[in-house]
Amino acid sequence: MSSMLASYLTLAAILFCIGLYGVLTKRSAVIVLLSIELMLNAVNLNLIAFSKYGVVPSLKGQVFSLFNIAIAAAEVAVGIAILIALYRNRATTNVDEFNELRN
Amino acid sequence: MESVYAQYVWAVPIAPLLAFLVLTLMRCVVKGSAAFIGVGSSLIACVLSILILLERLSASTNVYTVNVEWLSFGAVHFELGYELTNLNALMLVIVTVVSTLVNLYAKGYMADDERQTVFFAYIGLFTFSMLGLVISPNLLQLYIFWELVGVCSFLLIGFWYERPAARAAAKKAFIMTRIGDVGLLIAILILFWHMPNHALDFQSIGQVFASVDTMSQYGISAGLATWIASLIFLGAIGKSGQFPLHTWLPDAMEGPTPISALIHAATMVAAGVYLVARTFDIFQLSQTAMLIVASVGGFTAIFAATIAIAQRDMKRILAYSTVSQLGYMMLALGLGAVTAGIFHLFTHAFFKALLFLGAGSVIHAVHTQNIFQINGRGRSMKITAWTFAIGALALSGVPPLSGFWSKDAILSAAWESNKLLFAIGVVAAFLTAFYMSRLFFIVFTRAKRVHTEGTDSPIHESPAVMTIPLVVLAVLAVVAGFVYTPFYSGFETWITGVAASDHTNVIVIIVSTIVALSGIGLGYFIYGPNGVREDRWSNVIKPLYHLVERKYYVDELYKLFAVYPLKVLGKVLDVFDRYIIDGIVRYTASCTVQFGKLFTRIQNGQLQSYGLLSLYGFSALLLLLLLLGKGLW
Amino acid sequence: MIPWLTLLAFSPLVGVLLLSLVPSDRVKLLRCIGIAASLLPLLLAFFIYAYVNVEGQGSSLTERYNWIAIPLNIEAIQPYVQSWAFEIDYHLSIGGLSLPLVVMTAIVTAMAAWASLTIKQRVKSYYIWFLLLEVGMLGVFMARDLFLFFLFFEWTLVPMFFLIGIWGFAKREKAANRFLVYNGLGSALLLVAFLILTVTAGLAVHGDAGASSHLVYSGDLEQMIRQLGDAQSFVNTLPGPASSFNPFYLSEAWRATAFILLLIAFGIKLPIFPFHTWMLRVHVEAPTPVVMLHSGVLLKMGAYGLIQFGLAILPQSFASWSTVLAIIGLVNIVYGALLAYVQKELRLLLAYSSISHMGFVLLGIAAMNDIGLQGAVLQMVSHGFISALFFLLVGCLLERTGTSRIDELGGLANRLPFLSALLLLAGLASLGLPGLSGFMAELLSLLGLYGQLPWAAIAGGLGIILSAVYVLRGVLAITYGPLDMRFAQLKGTQAVEALPAVVLTFAIILIGVLPAVVTIPIEQGIERMIHIIQAGR
Repeated sequence: MSSMLASYLTLAAILFCIGLYGVLTKRSAVIVLLSIELMLNAVNLNLIAFSKYGVVPSLKGQVFSLFNIAIAAAEVAVGIAILIALYRNRATTNVDEFNELRN
Repeated sequence: MESVYAQYVWAVPIAPLLAFLVLTLMRCVVKGSAAFIGVGSSLIACVLSILILLERLSASTNVYTVNVEWLSFGAVHFELGYELTNLNALMLVIVTVVSTLVNLYAKGYMADDERQTVFFAYIGLFTFSMLGLVISPNLLQLYIFWELVGVCSFLLIGFWYERPAARAAAKKAFIMTRIGDVGLLIAILILFWHMPNHALDFQSIGQVFASVDTMSQYGISAGLATWIASLIFLGAIGKSGQFPLHTWLPDAMEGPTPISALIHAATMVAAGVYLVARTFDIFQLSQTAMLIVASVGGFTAIFAATIAIAQRDMKRILAYSTVSQLGYMMLALGLGAVTAGIFHLFTHAFFKALLFLGAGSVIHAVHTQNIFQINGRGRSMKITAWTFAIGALALSGVPPLSGFWSKDAILSAAWESNKLLFAIGVVAAFLTAFYMSRLFFIVFTRAKRVHTEGTDSPIHESPAVMTIPLVVLAVLAVVAGFVYTPFYSGFETWITGVAASDHTNVIVIIVSTIVALSGIGLGYFIYGPNGVREDRWSNVIKPLYHLVERKYYVDELYKLFAVYPLKVLGKVLDVFDRYIIDGIVRYTASCTVQFGKLFTRIQNGQLQSYGLLSLYGFSALLLLLLLLGKGLW
Repeated sequence: MIPWLTLLAFSPLVGVLLLSLVPSDRVKLLRCIGIAASLLPLLLAFFIYAYVNVEGQGSSLTERYNWIAIPLNIEAIQPYVQSWAFEIDYHLSIGGLSLPLVVMTAIVTAMAAWASLTIKQRVKSYYIWFLLLEVGMLGVFMARDLFLFFLFFEWTLVPMFFLIGIWGFAKREKAANRFLVYNGLGSALLLVAFLILTVTAGLAVHGDAGASSHLVYSGDLEQMIRQLGDAQSFVNTLPGPASSFNPFYLSEAWRATAFILLLIAFGIKLPIFPFHTWMLRVHVEAPTPVVMLHSGVLLKMGAYGLIQFGLAILPQSFASWSTVLAIIGLVNIVYGALLAYVQKELRLLLAYSSISHMGFVLLGIAAMNDIGLQGAVLQMVSHGFISALFFLLVGCLLERTGTSRIDELGGLANRLPFLSALLLLAGLASLGLPGLSGFMAELLSLLGLYGQLPWAAIAGGLGIILSAVYVLRGVLAITYGPLDMRFAQLKGTQAVEALPAVVLTFAIILIGVLPAVVTIPIEQGIERMIHIIQAGR
């Protein structure tokens, strides 16, 4: 049982790291958003794994991951909307050029 | 006998003060009658002080004092009030008489000036301050009025403020006298802490410094007394234009001539002499201080007299003469002859005021102060010429005019105690007679030159309002000397309160007469109607003549050793302040800013680098937890 | 019982409230409200002055309420005491040195509010900040709790920062920043010093000794003075071998530290050399009505703090450092005077002359006797009026000529006789002419100092000569001399401008003629301080 949990968690960790790598290194904002989705899904995987093989198994984890998916969808919608607005302004989706925070 | 007028002494200074207030605060209302208010107020003061003097002459000689508390806390009890002694009753009369005459004279002299109101207001303030000074019962009040007369003098020297020369002279007068004033202030500080009960009034000073014994009884050492006396004398040096603080007085002639007569000849400059006489008890206990007073006085007398020989400005000659005569008074005081000093102050006030007003009358008519430009043009002004002649003779010490008697009193005092100072006095007297005859002959008798540039309009005598004061002063200059002749010493008894013997000294009388006459004779020989030209003899001793003409370069020395170093020091400190002190501040500030900038590098606005940084941070924390947080696992 | 002091301190807030209700484009109304609101504390201050003097000096007004109490962890000392807390009281008093300074503040502020008619932009927020500043200033002079004092002390920084930064001249922002940073630094040091004092001398034991007692830390001034004055108190008893550890003992080293911190903190405000450079900028860059307050009142907060929160608390430290204080004072006098002598800008000249004049305050403090302290307070009040008058006149000058540079101006007595006369009068007051306020202040400072350090008093006399030199140089260069053609068309002084100048002049002359108006109300407070000093010897 616990080996099952370990393999789920490992898969989630790998997914998370790939996502993190994408967020930190990719120039294209679209890819960054995709990578964030990857990280979110890694978390969802964890939640489900724990809800099945955790110390106190319960359905709450799965319900929570459903919430997560819904929120992630909303977030992507907002993110893409911002991106489009930015693209219209700056004609680029390169994150390196978005350094407005500095000023 | 009950004093009738003495209790109204306070009214003497109040009258001119009221004039000042009315003229200042209601300037627009009283514009036309400024002169009237000025003359009227000083006349009231004058009549009252003459009544007081007469009363004191006839009967009461006791000191009359009234004090009110002014500022009091802890050990401090400062009082204001007035005190009437024979000495200051005499001073009151001198001041008010001259002031009244000068006010009257100024009515004519300043008739065309649009700032007449201000002028008479200033004179009112001055007269108030001077009278306040004279009746001060304590040293602090005296100092207050001492400063006030100084500021009035400053305001009046700078009366024609548009002239840069007047501005410079006013500033110089204030600062030079201030140097002396600080001496007096420090003397007050010392006295305050060493006198019993912190008393500063003259009566207590008189008691403590009555003799060496009483002084040491109150714990004041002889050295301290010398210091106190010297510091007080420093104040007198500044105010009375003694060497080396004399340079302001000749420059003060930038002011209107009535002012030169009132303040810079007859009254304020004599305040130094009055101060020394008032605190004479302290001086008397210190041989050193007395010697300082006598030597400074003697040196100034001869020093200023030599300068007066070579000046070309009519008022400046008189100014140097004033300096010289004040030196005479100081000499007398330094020799212990208070009466002689005060007596000279008394006579000098009249004839010097006369001379200045006469000079003003000439200047008013010819619009120049240079005696070589006037060049005999004064002859058509008969009253002015005659009264001026009387003044000049009195100053030169020709018997039986007033100056002769007072000078004789001083010289005989010198003869008795110090032959060197006597010699100095005699030479100074000779020089005085010489420069006065030079002045008189050039201005009033010299033949009119053929080529005179500029306006050559006929010169008219001044109006009566100006000549009446001249005549009155001329009469006083003649008769004032008879109150204290070698054959009558009642004056001395009256002033000092000690019975005095007559001081007939035939040798001195003869010597001073000869000296005065020979001085005038030499003057007539060189400058008289048929005299030789000045450049004849001045060329003979050219370097010396230049030295004297340039006033021994004292002004230049001051510039070199006081003004420039101060300026340079100021500039150096300014640079220091700007670049070192402020530099350190700026450097510290910029260091802080740079330090802060170090971390702004990290904040580059790149979201991804923020993310990476937080990842590093997270990892570091995790690592820390792994290494240190054993117990938590 | 009407809380007069609170009413006085916070009365300007009435104006703030009214101003915030008026639309910002109704400039005239805003100005009227601003001026009227500054007259309110003036009236109250006069009333309190009269009240205190009529009622006799003993009944100096005092108001005291518990304000903040923070309970502390008492586990460590549970068996010994019932409770342990840190308390800040709302404690205002008009005794001590406060009364003349409060009245001076109220007068100068009202006159500055009047002079603020020259402010043209953003009048509404200007007056709001202005009145808030007044609250801070009045509070500083009345607070009797260290932390309340600190609060008001800090309070003044904020309005001042905006007043300089928004309404100043060309380099206003830099000046404002520098003002804030420098004074903030000073406040930090002040806070450290106050904390040192609070955790030692600020301790009070209420209730019976033993288990039922209540330990309270407070910033109460009276409490501290009492503790430090009592030879048997915790703060003064050295922990000997017999007694156990005494954390409340204030050692010599800590006293010296606190003293130096206080000296620097208040010295920045005063300012003393070499912490003076910030105030030069403020003098030049701030709008002139604000400089009237700054030079007239804010600088005095430093001097006041040094006496009321320095000398009164640590008299022994002051006594043992009195020579140093006198030397600092002399350096201030001479350094300020020499620099004033070479300045080409009148406002800078006045700034340096302030440094020089504040030197006399230090001399008065160094004297350590009632004469010197009276002189110091008189100098504070007198300089407050004189410099306010000076900057009022500078404001009028700037308004007309656009410059206050000495080398560009000249001969103004011709076109502006009234203004020139007052400028001369202010100058004469500044150089200590008898009959005007500066004289008695400087005389008493030197007189007091002579009793303690004769040489320093004599050296201080030099300052009197130098002040004449620089004042006359500056004032005469502007007013006397030939008139420059550029100024031939200048308008004369108007009655509106003349009024505050006349009031300030009157105050200067009044104090000059009757210095007792200042010395009598503070006599008792100073007597107490002297008593403490002498008891400490």
